Parts: sequence; structure tokens; C-alpha cells
Amino acid sequence: MDQRFRRIALAAPVLLLLLPNSSWGQPGGGKTSDKKLPDKILIGATLPLTGAESRIGGFYKEGYDLAFEEANRAGGLQVGGKRIPVALQLLDDTTTQATAVQLADRLINVDKVHFLLGTYSTTLVQAQSGMAEQNRIPYVNGGGAATEIYQQKYKYLFGLLAPVELLADTMMRWIDVQQKAGKLPKPATIAVVWENTSHGKDFRKGVAAYVKGRASDYKIVLDESFELNAKDFSALLNAVKASKADILLADVHLPDYITMQRQYVTAGMCHKVLSYGARGSEKQAAEALGQKNVSYILSAVWWNAQLGSKGLTKKFVDLFQAKYHRMPEWYQALGYETARVLFTAIEQAGSVDREAVRAKLAAMNIETILPGGKLSFPADKGQQAHYPFVVQQNTPDGKSPIVFPADVANAPGVAPNPDCKG
Amino acid sequence: MARGLDLLLSAVLLAGLYATMAYGLGLIYGVLRIVNLNHGGMIMAGAYMGWLLHSRLGIDPYLSLPLVAAVSFGFGVLLYRTLVMHLPRGAAGGVQSLLLLFGVWLVLRNAAYLMFTGNDQVIQTEYANKAVMVLGTSQSLNRLVVFGIAAVTLLGLHLLLTRTYVGKAIRAVAQNADSCTLVGIHVERIYMLTFGIGTALAGIAGLLGGTIFAFNPTFGAVELLKCFVIVVLGGLGSALGTAAAALVLAAVEVFAILLIPAYLTAAVGFVLLVLVLIFRPGGFFGQRVLG
Repeated sequence: MDQRFRRIALAAPVLLLLLPNSSWGQPGGGKTSDKKLPDKILIGATLPLTGAESRIGGFYKEGYDLAFEEANRAGGLQVGGKRIPVALQLLDDTTTQATAVQLADRLINVDKVHFLLGTYSTTLVQAQSGMAEQNRIPYVNGGGAATEIYQQKYKYLFGLLAPVELLADTMMRWIDVQQKAGKLPKPATIAVVWENTSHGKDFRKGVAAYVKGRASDYKIVLDESFELNAKDFSALLNAVKASKADILLADVHLPDYITMQRQYVTAGMCHKVLSYGARGSEKQAAEALGQKNVSYILSAVWWNAQLGSKGLTKKFVDLFQAKYHRMPEWYQALGYETARVLFTAIEQAGSVDREAVRAKLAAMNIETILPGGKLSFPADKGQQAHYPFVVQQNTPDGKSPIVFPADVANAPGVAPNPDCKG
Repeated sequence: MARGLDLLLSAVLLAGLYATMAYGLGLIYGVLRIVNLNHGGMIMAGAYMGWLLHSRLGIDPYLSLPLVAAVSFGFGVLLYRTLVMHLPRGAAGGVQSLLLLFGVWLVLRNAAYLMFTGNDQVIQTEYANKAVMVLGTSQSLNRLVVFGIAAVTLLGLHLLLTRTYVGKAIRAVAQNADSCTLVGIHVERIYMLTFGIGTALAGIAGLLGGTIFAFNPTFGAVELLKCFVIVVLGGLGSALGTAAAALVLAAVEVFAILLIPAYLTAAVGFVLLVLVLIFRPGGFFGQRVLG
């Protein structure tokens, strides 16, 4: 083997790490933060508008845009007795941690934004939250759910996504109802596969915590993690198949859901209950895989448009439909609500003083579009919101009705999957 | 037993794609002594070409293979004539060619961002989710077709290099370009053809990869790393060695799940790369003439 080629083969991974993921940057601008009221309130944010999470980043952007548009249509935020317009300085973090941190630094120290809204996905939020804390700037996010982010007990970090452990717990409670109704075997065997991130670890922890002490009802027969944004899941799915589990519970992000489900279908696999955590009902998955291949998949989500036909939820859904001519998913709802929460705190503080706004966020207890109807950031949970999830299930007609909890369900839910033969 | 067979079939089918990805890189380096870092960019471009032809014109991705190969070949020739041929040859041009082709890759990637955004795309055909039974295990029809095309490509490349005048000239230039000039071989033209063929192979690999996996403008980066592993394992200048090395890499990645967590399996190939470089630096199947 040629010496030079060998050196290059070893150096290539390093060179590739230097390869930027981004398209070209965007111009900045902004004002410094002080206690005098500015002419404009500048809020900074990054989102993954390109890269692996670009689709979801685009959804969050729709939510942010809607909230800013709504606030400015009223003349801006009501601060200190006058209306002040609010502007969003949004940059593309390209779904990479290093870029997310670098751009957060730029927003704070170059663009001089007053406050920060969060990006999407646990890994990016985790990376940015430290930067916000160092600079003592309130950072409100609707894109990071892992409890690990909030265990750092940061003062300036506020999260709207309830913990993934709760998601797993809610899913297991629905499964339990089905088992008690005699629709699932007892004990039921479960395969748990999870992305190797703090998000995935929380999911695994949630399932394990529920199963613990219920050995006669459930048995985990496979507990396996995988790399985020992997291309090939054939070996992992082979392990799932070999486990002969009744139930497959996976925690994945959208790109991995589509890739894994395609390989799952072509491998001829079928489980009595199949869930990809919070993913399952996305339109693009049905488009990519065919409706038949996503039917009966369960997902537990932070919001569903069917949650309410009145109050704040209806207002949000109406606004969204008027602007985008389609129904919102939980991603847009979280984006919208995250911005609205920050606006509320600024208005309550009556100034753009970061400490005053932080204090209002910490003490917040307001009406929300999220399940449960009330939103707060409990200090003992690291200022991560806690509220119930809703479980939805894809049906062959392309809908995803809520099947759990019973008080908000609009369909009974189906188990076991009738498409499974034998 | 059934699980072992399933894993083995998965490895074999994956190896077909890996081998197609690596042929072009090995060929260009073997003949021109240039590490074509733009290989990853062409893999990405091949996937997008297939996607465009399917989504806009309704052409089946496998039927569009000749067109994608021809366009990629043309791009390779153009790239050679306009940029690569002006670089110093051999070790003297090493850094320049690396930087130049890395730059071309960046341009291609950003062009893809501008044209297609960073959203993941899939080539969604009617048979994308179809499966067939092979030895009692369910296998994706797409993967079987990709494997078949990879095998045909390997055979075609092998025949080209061993049975045709151009192929023999390519091999001769790889051995000693100066002597080739003495016997009347137009060395520059052979370089150009080789660069074109290598680029076409990258385009084909990209299209085949795009029929199996979702892709975005970052597609090709991880694939290029796997190509490095395969070329080092297989040794330079051996098409059959490349295929065998692809099978070794795929098998190691797939079977690793029996021993280690799935999230670590992607790293196994690179551990293998380091081990081979330490203990068998000529690769498993390399030919001395190109070493």
C-alpha cells in the first residue's frame, strides 16, 4: 500500500470533520440590552434549517414566525406602558452542535439580542444552554426534552418539552390498558431500541421504570441502542427479529424513523404494538413509506390539534391554518408556544431586563395550548415543564386520532396490529 | 442459524453497494495517484440526479443509471480537463489535488443546498417497500437489485480493464506512464478517461445508495470514509480485491452487533482500517505493481 494513500486515509476523517455543513451565513444586526426600553426587542434563535433535522427545523420556524407575526400585528409587546415591535434574528445551525454553539455566541455577543429562543433537538439545545448560562441570558426552548439538559440546574434555561421518560411512561400505560383488556399477551415481551443520546436514554429509562416491579406482566427481551442518523438498521432489526418480542418500542428522530420503518417493512416484520416514540404521524413519513406501511403505529406526543376546539388551542390552530393552509403538528405548536411564553414573560416583567424576565419565567404559571392547560417551569425539575402526553395512533385512512388518556381520546385504539399475520 | 443467514445476506447485499462506491476512488488513485476527495460529492450528486429524473420526469432510477453514469463521466472529464490536468503529478501534486478536489466537493455541496435545501430526500418508487423471500428470509427488492447492478458493474469494470485496449492501456499507465509514452499510448487521454470512469462509478454508486437510503447534501461524507477503508483493505488496483474488501467491511459492520452495541458498529470499520495499516499495510488483495 502506498505510504501517501495510507496517510491520507487516516487523515481523511479529520479533514471531514472540518467540512462545514452549512450553506452560506446570514447577515446579523441588533441592539444592546439595557434597562431603557428599546425601539425594537430583538430575540435571537438558531434552528436546524439544513442538515438531518432540517424538516423539523422548518416546522419550528413556522411556529416562531406565526408567534412573531401575531405579536407585531397587535403593535408589538406591551412593555412598560407602550407597544414595542419584536423581531426574530434567526440563523441556521445546520443540525451540528459546534455551529449551534458558535451561532449562539454570535447572537449574544455580536448581534446583541435581548433574549434567546431555543433550537430543536436535545443535542443542540444541550450544547447551546451552557452558552446562554455563561452570558446570563434567558433561553426558552421547545426542542430539548432530555432530563439531562435540566439536571444541570441552569438558572437561565427554560424548557417547554415535558421529559421523554414521561412519554415512555404514557405509552406503557396505554399498552397496560390493552393488556388488561386481554388484547395483548401476559407477560408481553418488549424490544426497546433507542438512539444513543440523552433523549434515547430517557426513553429507555421510562420503559424500564414502568416494567420494573411488573415482571409478571412485561419482560424486556432486547435492550439495544443505535447511532443517531444511521443509514443502515438491518443488523439492529435482525436483533429485534431474533428477540421474538410482542412489542417494539423505539425512540428515534424523524429521519431515522423513515429509514428504520422502510427496512422494517421490507424485512417482513410486524409487531402486535409498534411505536417510534414521538414519531409516527408525520405526513412525510406516510408519503415516503405509503400509508399502509405506517398504519397502526403509535406515537406519544407533546401536543395534538385535536386537543381542544376552544380557547388558546383553537386560536392557534385557526391562525396556523389561515397562514399555512394546513393543520399544525406538535412541532409548530411547540415553536409557537415557546415564543409566546417568552413574550408573556417580557410583558409581565415590563422591561427587557434579563434578570427581571428570568424571574418572571421562573415564577410563570399561565394558560397554555399544551396538554393539561397550565404551564410552569418547576425549579425542582430544573425548570423543565411537566404535563401529560397524548398517545395517538395512525389509522389506515391517514388520520391519527388520540387514543389515550381516556379523557381526551377520540378513538379507542387498536391492539394487536390487525395487519400482522399469525 | 436463521439469524446468522439473515445477517450474512444483509452483509452480502450491503457489500455490493460498498464495492460500487469504492471502485472509482481506487481506480483514480491507482492510475493518477490522486486522492479524489470529490468522490463523496459525486456520490451525493448521483443520488440527486436519480431523484430529479424520477421525481420530475418519472424515469425509474434503475433505468436512469446510464444517463447518470454518462453525465457523471462527462463531469469527470470536464473536471480533469479544466482543473486536475494542470496539477503537478505524483507526490509533488498531492496537497494541491487534495485541496482542489476538497474545494470542488464544497462547491457541489453548497450548490445542492441552494437547489434542493437541506431536507432529506428519498427516491420513492412503487417497489421501494417491496420484499422478496431469499433462502427463507425477507429481503428488500431494492437491495437485491442494487446488489445485482453492483455485480454487473464489477464484472464490466473487470472486463474493461482486462479485455479491452483502453483497459490494458489504463493498467499499463498505472504501472509506468513514461514507458507508455514510448510505445505510443496517449497518457493524458488515458488519465482523462480514467478520471471520467472513476467519477461515473461514484455517480452510479450515489444513485444506487439513493434508492436505499434517505439523502441530503451531506450524503457522501460517511460513504467516502468507508471507501477509504475498503480501498486500504482491498489494496490498490484490484477490482476483485475491492469487492472482497467491501464484503469484509460489510460483514464486520453487520456481525458486530452480536458482540457490541449497535451504535458502535459504524466505528468497527475504522478500527479494522487501523489494524490493517499496522499489520498488513499492503491490504489483503493489493497488487505490487501499484503499491
